[in-house]
Amino acid sequence: MNTPLRILVVLPLYGGSLPIGRYCAQALREMGHLVEEFDAPAFQQAHVALRGLRVSVERLSQLETAFLNTLSQAVYAKAETFAPDLVLALAQAPLGRQTLRRLRADGVPTAMWFVEDYALFTYWRSFAPLYDFFFVIQKDPFLGLLRDIGVENACYLPLAALPSFHQPLDLTAAERARYGADLAFLGAGYPNRRAAFRTLAGRNFKIWGSDWDGDAILAPLVQQGGARISPEDSVRVYNATRINLNLHSSVRADTAVSGGDFVNPRTFEIACMGAFQLIDKRSLLDELFRVDESVCAGTGAPAPDAELAVFSDWDGLERGLSYYLVHPEEREAMARRARARVLAEHSYERRMSSMLDFIQLRRAGWPAPRATADWPQDIPAGLRAELAALLQRLGLPPQAAFVDVVTRLRQESGVLGSLETSLLFLDEWRKQYGSSGS
Amino acid sequence: MSKHLVIQLARFGDIVQTKRLILSLQAQGEVHLCVDRSLQELACLVYPGLVVHGLPAHGCTGDEVFSSGHTVLEALRAERFDTVYALNHAGLCRAVAALFDPAVVRGYRVDSGQVLRSNWVRLAFRWMADRGAAPLNLVDFWAALAPAMIPGDQVNPPARPGGAGLGVVLSGRNPRRSLPPDYLAPVVHAVFERLGASRMVLLGASADRPAARRLLTALPSSLASAAVDLTGRTDWAGLADALTGLDALLSPDTGTAHLAAHLGVPVEGLFCSSAWAWETGPYGTGHRIWQTVAHCAPCVESSPCSRGAACRKAFTSPAFLARFQGRGSGAASRPLDGLIPLASGFDLLGQIWTPREGTDPFARRRAVLRGQLAEYLGLGIAGADSDAVNLLYREADWMLPQALP
Repeated sequence: MNTPLRILVVLPLYGGSLPIGRYCAQALREMGHLVEEFDAPAFQQAHVALRGLRVSVERLSQLETAFLNTLSQAVYAKAETFAPDLVLALAQAPLGRQTLRRLRADGVPTAMWFVEDYALFTYWRSFAPLYDFFFVIQKDPFLGLLRDIGVENACYLPLAALPSFHQPLDLTAAERARYGADLAFLGAGYPNRRAAFRTLAGRNFKIWGSDWDGDAILAPLVQQGGARISPEDSVRVYNATRINLNLHSSVRADTAVSGGDFVNPRTFEIACMGAFQLIDKRSLLDELFRVDESVCAGTGAPAPDAELAVFSDWDGLERGLSYYLVHPEEREAMARRARARVLAEHSYERRMSSMLDFIQLRRAGWPAPRATADWPQDIPAGLRAELAALLQRLGLPPQAAFVDVVTRLRQESGVLGSLETSLLFLDEWRKQYGSSGS
Repeated sequence: MSKHLVIQLARFGDIVQTKRLILSLQAQGEVHLCVDRSLQELACLVYPGLVVHGLPAHGCTGDEVFSSGHTVLEALRAERFDTVYALNHAGLCRAVAALFDPAVVRGYRVDSGQVLRSNWVRLAFRWMADRGAAPLNLVDFWAALAPAMIPGDQVNPPARPGGAGLGVVLSGRNPRRSLPPDYLAPVVHAVFERLGASRMVLLGASADRPAARRLLTALPSSLASAAVDLTGRTDWAGLADALTGLDALLSPDTGTAHLAAHLGVPVEGLFCSSAWAWETGPYGTGHRIWQTVAHCAPCVESSPCSRGAACRKAFTSPAFLARFQGRGSGAASRPLDGLIPLASGFDLLGQIWTPREGTDPFARRRAVLRGQLAEYLGLGIAGADSDAVNLLYREADWMLPQALP
């Protein structure tokens, strides 16, 4: 897909899909598309205020519904104004059923990237049929279940990393001391993790993230008082840690390794940074990376082309820790290969490209040609050079349409320069007088 | 070992119906139960291995509620529970829930003064809008708040006749859900004869004694002489003793019927008006409910009935009585009018009721909802029915943070 598109990315108010939405938006921009974000997190404080009203549960429920209606209408208004070629929503995005129906009636294509476990978040049935395209991080039976409820354009799209953000860092000694450890885990305190991590309490082990409170054994390991870790700090932690433990979440505490299918974002992000991880086995992992379990299974040294070291049980993890802690050169080599694989195949840019290709394949005539006012015929050479520089600064391709440049300029804050103002003035002039000027 | 508290401040029957939750939690750790002090003895009887905390409420003075209540609450606070299950919508329960960190409370929690409900409870309020199709027994609903439920058929012993005769419960909580003595007498007579019993006990509160006398008057003298009237004469232990070993208990939807199910006594349930087997039928195998299925069933008991509780008349029909009398022809071969017999059983989710005659008008809808709930609980895959999905899920479920399971 080489055509620059206008894409409205609808972010959720909260949760793990929020940074993923931001990475998608950034990747789309880096691909030369014009992206508008619906910044739902900006409304989050209003919801916190509603929750603080101390009213009856029935009244709170009504207020929350009204609040979501307002948000959904705001998304619709944004789509109306921005006239996107695609509305891309991330899981939990405040795009209500009524709004999805209106967008469909208006002919605006909608897509959701449902970056959640379908077996845990069963409400997907409620909205999946209302999206024109539904991207998921699991295969069958999920894809089959989607077909059963009439979702024709469902597509497996695994998670990814953003190389411009998830990159190797040159950390200072102070940063290494603060963020580093032999072993670290960054994420929420799900029951399987809580139960399993107790056995690691004697090691040089740091736990980062929230929902770890109430456990006396783990408490000394939890960093920053169990506060949420910003994406920027997560990059520092992963970079500074010798072995990043990547244990997929499970609500079951009786087994540490849940043996599920999908691969979490952490896998791609750590790999993209060139950092080392020990990861629990997932059924979809070995089609994304060359995995190796030799060390953790106790059957020998890792394969020379291995990209990720995996374990299937807790004994395997212990074996992996003992081995890789004293084999830094193997850690580094494996991490280097994993990074190369992500850069080649698992970037958000690649994912967004696959997504747009899928939509183009399935939707005849998409993207619809836009009737846009074109550039003036005779732009002086000096101004033309200035314009080219502006487009580059705005992250737009040289062939960007006039209307897209105007939209992008309206996203700018602060005082504009004379060239930018000239373009906006020309746009308003055309609206008032038409192209003829009469 | 983890430590859990269940706050169950509702009535007698509700305490017994909390059993699957309590047993499920006991499989994981130590369990405490907080009940109304007037029901503490009963709770200790039903849950001998539990620490039971009795809060002064029913029949207490304000002074007692405040001073004795403070002592109990202080003790609860000192226990440092890992999880607290606040089960009741009522303000009393929510007030106690405020004692704990909202992050550990399931059911109804209070966060900075705002009452919030677990997702599971929010779902329940939605399916209750379609009560006829009630997909889940109350026992299973509460149990599903636990991280993992024990199988439903391990909660109560299979009900079997014990040789000690017939028990009769005279009334339920709401008069509309109970049969008047002149309706009840032919049923008692028929069941007594079918069992070939030689003894009968009448059970109920002191307020039921006039009804007991009227029932005895309406019965043939040979039957009346076999009856022991225990209405208003039993404490909780006495009630359990009276139930133990009975061949059957004839009862409307009552706490006594739930206690009987706990003891493995077969219940012959007479459910009418707002009583609905699929919501509060006796838990376990070996029970039978005679359920009225008038077009207005199940009704809301707080709303007046414009039909004079006419659904109860179904229990006076010869066809119904003949089912007990075991006659092979005549009335027994006529279809039941406005009534279906249901047999108890289990599936993966919990209790089910299967019609032995007639049709459950909500069977298909109920099956669809149960499928959806099984999927929600990770116990199966739902069908593709969008109506059920739209009934159960709201946009707030996925658009707003819902921290509680």
